[in-house]
Amino acid sequence: MTKVSLTVNGEPVRAEVEPRTSLADFLRERLRLTGTHLGCEHGVCGACTLSIDGVPMRSCIVYAVSCEGAEVTTIEGFDDDAVMASLREAFTENHGLQCGYCTPGMLVTARDIVTRLPDADERRVRLELAGNLCRCTGYVGIVRAILAVLDRRRAGG
Amino acid sequence: MTGRGIGASVLRKEDGRFMTGRGSFVADIALPGTLDIAFVRSSSAHARISRVVKPTGAEDRVLAAADLAGLLPMRAPSKLPGYKPSDYPALAIGKVRFVGEPVAACLGASRAEAEDLAQAVEIVYQELPPVVDMLDARAPGAPLVHESWGDNIVLETAVDGDLEAVRAQAAHSVSREVRMSRQAMVPMEMRAVLARWDHRTDQLLVYSSTQVPHLIRAGIARFLELEQRRVRVIAPDVGGGFGLKCYVQPEELVACWCAIHLGRPARWIQDRREHLVADANCREHHYRITAHADAAGRILGVEGEITVDAGAYSIYPFTNCLEAAMAGGNLLGPYAIEAYRVKTWTVATNKPPLVPYRGVARPGVAFAMETLIDAVAREVGREPHEVRIDNMVPPSAMPYTNAARKVFDSGDYPEAVARAAQMIDVAAVRRRQRAGEPDGRLIGVGFGSYTEQTAHGTSVFSSWGVQMVPGYEQAGAKLTPDGGLEIRVGVQSHGQGMETTLAQVACEVLGIDPDRIAVIHGDTGLTPYSTGTYASRSIVMAGGAAARACRALAERMARIGAHLMQCETDDVRVGDGVVAGPAGMVPFSEIGRVWYMNPEELPDDVDMGGVEAVIGYRPDPDHGTFSYATHAAVIRLDPETGAVEVLDYTVVEDCGTMVNPMVVGGQCQGGAAQGIGTALFEESPFDAAGQPLASTFADYHLPGASEVPAIRIEHMITPSPHTEFGIKGVGEGGTIPTPAVIGNAVNDALRPLGAEVAETPITPRRVLAAIAAARGEAA
Repeated sequence: MTKVSLTVNGEPVRAEVEPRTSLADFLRERLRLTGTHLGCEHGVCGACTLSIDGVPMRSCIVYAVSCEGAEVTTIEGFDDDAVMASLREAFTENHGLQCGYCTPGMLVTARDIVTRLPDADERRVRLELAGNLCRCTGYVGIVRAILAVLDRRRAGG
Repeated sequence: MTGRGIGASVLRKEDGRFMTGRGSFVADIALPGTLDIAFVRSSSAHARISRVVKPTGAEDRVLAAADLAGLLPMRAPSKLPGYKPSDYPALAIGKVRFVGEPVAACLGASRAEAEDLAQAVEIVYQELPPVVDMLDARAPGAPLVHESWGDNIVLETAVDGDLEAVRAQAAHSVSREVRMSRQAMVPMEMRAVLARWDHRTDQLLVYSSTQVPHLIRAGIARFLELEQRRVRVIAPDVGGGFGLKCYVQPEELVACWCAIHLGRPARWIQDRREHLVADANCREHHYRITAHADAAGRILGVEGEITVDAGAYSIYPFTNCLEAAMAGGNLLGPYAIEAYRVKTWTVATNKPPLVPYRGVARPGVAFAMETLIDAVAREVGREPHEVRIDNMVPPSAMPYTNAARKVFDSGDYPEAVARAAQMIDVAAVRRRQRAGEPDGRLIGVGFGSYTEQTAHGTSVFSSWGVQMVPGYEQAGAKLTPDGGLEIRVGVQSHGQGMETTLAQVACEVLGIDPDRIAVIHGDTGLTPYSTGTYASRSIVMAGGAAARACRALAERMARIGAHLMQCETDDVRVGDGVVAGPAGMVPFSEIGRVWYMNPEELPDDVDMGGVEAVIGYRPDPDHGTFSYATHAAVIRLDPETGAVEVLDYTVVEDCGTMVNPMVVGGQCQGGAAQGIGTALFEESPFDAAGQPLASTFADYHLPGASEVPAIRIEHMITPSPHTEFGIKGVGEGGTIPTPAVIGNAVNDALRPLGAEVAETPITPRRVLAAIAAARGEAA
């Protein structure tokens, strides 16, 4: 067991964890933050994407013990975030989700796209989404939702 | 009417919980003391098990088949003549028949602990020669998957037609050999089960990621020899199914056995490697097919042989025979072809069981038939979309019974082709091809058309010989005391948006806003029996049943309302959330108040069923209603690398009356994206020893956002004459023509090189091999 201290959704967390425990398992099984989903556990599908120190990361291939001092934000931690609120609105308006399993990771990536790349066009958005797989939507609604939020932000909304 | 009933793109009620991370999938549910299960799986495709060596000191935490007293092997019966059932044990008995087959179950306080234990278990095998390829499996002398059968043939079927005349008459007889490769279904949430014994209700409570909770309940009860009243199955949020989550899985039975016998909750949460290696696969078909056509490309007759690789075991409850039954019955697609003859073989191999995946056989069927149509068009020198139109059942012939005895109920098939040709702009593609690409790449345009029999009813399923024949679909409608509504259905929504669309159906009848309607589904303890969500049936069947239940409720509310208004029942109208009379109205909340809280105000002759009704429904006739579509795509192919890029993709579809056009669009786009996966990327290959070669997402490629274009859709609306509101099913159709569309576009691009592809996925390797073959080179 190894001691680790980190911040999760604004709250300080101290815990003893096995060195082999992934951040995703730690959040899901110990902190019961089950909005972070596991879709492959080998860092490809992006369902477990969350924010570590403001950067989207795949929590299935990050060890919990490597997060000493990190600020982790899961999908549950974005409830007061204005960008996330506009993305959620756009996702539902554009039918950007069906089964909802990839959605938390998709939203975290989408938030990164709209804040980091304000001028992104459709091609760029699609490229940036390459690390997040969705099996239901064919990406049509997801891409449309992200483009809608980019448009809104460019218009100063 | 509030404008939020049938036909409105109402935003989905279910979205909120998923977007905030508050969905509840099986793996999200925590029960204290839960045992996690990890399986020791066969490393061999075909072997006798000599010994299972449990680690010393951990014997009680490792279960082999002999430890599971009272657990029967799964057996899926069928009434089809000649069908050979197979016993599918939850843990292998005597021998293993595919790599990944569960041999032992290891228990731990966490999955990691259980996996540690699984690594320490030793299985001693005595290797047997495997049979891996389906055509080899048909050959005499092949190794036998099930020795007692004497061969590897699960089932043979045939449609006999007389082809003598058309063979003699045809100006062109065009033959092809076509293969659709084995693949995985890959829902983003994998299989999952959590079981515990609930002493209060004396029931086994099973949380299962399933599309068919009532059928899972029946299977668990059957194989664990429990009375059905002692099993309750809850499908909570389910992260996609696509057909995979329609059968009882061995791991599920083991978790249930543990919950019963070990006194603690037990769960198995499948990981992605287990899904890719050891879960059921899908799609693997082989075709030898010939079209006999006149000089203009009018097809006079089709004959063929279809082989389906069903893997090692037949799955419960639907068996492994539906693929071949569907393939033989649907090969003719939307075409009016008079002479038809086909033979099908379903064969066993040393690979995981085959189960129907979204589209059920028809993507393979369409890949064979639609690429053949294009081959005919090339042979007679005409545009493929024009040859399609000439061969299709015209709207004037509806209803039309084809040579495979399918009854097409309604629609304008040729119009869908014409519109798709316009949307994709064939003329512009031809100009671009003539001009050539500056970098030497090749452009191709392709079409694919299909009909999809949806919501097949009793008559169809009983003809397939399966044990679980769907009958009258039931729905419950209940007015709550405050004037809201609950709809209860036994189907399960896992992405289709039925919490919204079924509420829209109820809104259409009663005028209650969908936001005031709760749709309760996926729980055998709370809902009427249903065979579940598959076969593009739920909105037709559960939607029709919900409408009937709401109408029954309306009649009862009309009587109560008329009494309260002191008028005749015939003079009131129910709708817009009120019972309206000649001189006033009573809101539903008032009806609810009187029934539940102030029954002294009820009329003496009130219907004692009250404000809750469970009503059954099935379309009449119930042979299924046919949706249809034509898809078209433009692709760009690099003859140096073999890479194929989809530049444009269009869908012209008709699913009858649309309950929610936004949801219909999402189903079509998502289906087409999966079809692009089948067409270009997804394959579960096996080597000669039966070892799976794609065990991670590094080897198994799914289409991402940059591989799928912005799929464009145009809707046509021809209501079904047989169903409530004229609704037809739409869940699966999007996947059906896509491999054919892409295949035809690739072959159109390769035409100048004289090359053709005939096998999915159309990988760079296969494209280069086709080009090399056309040049007379070895690939």
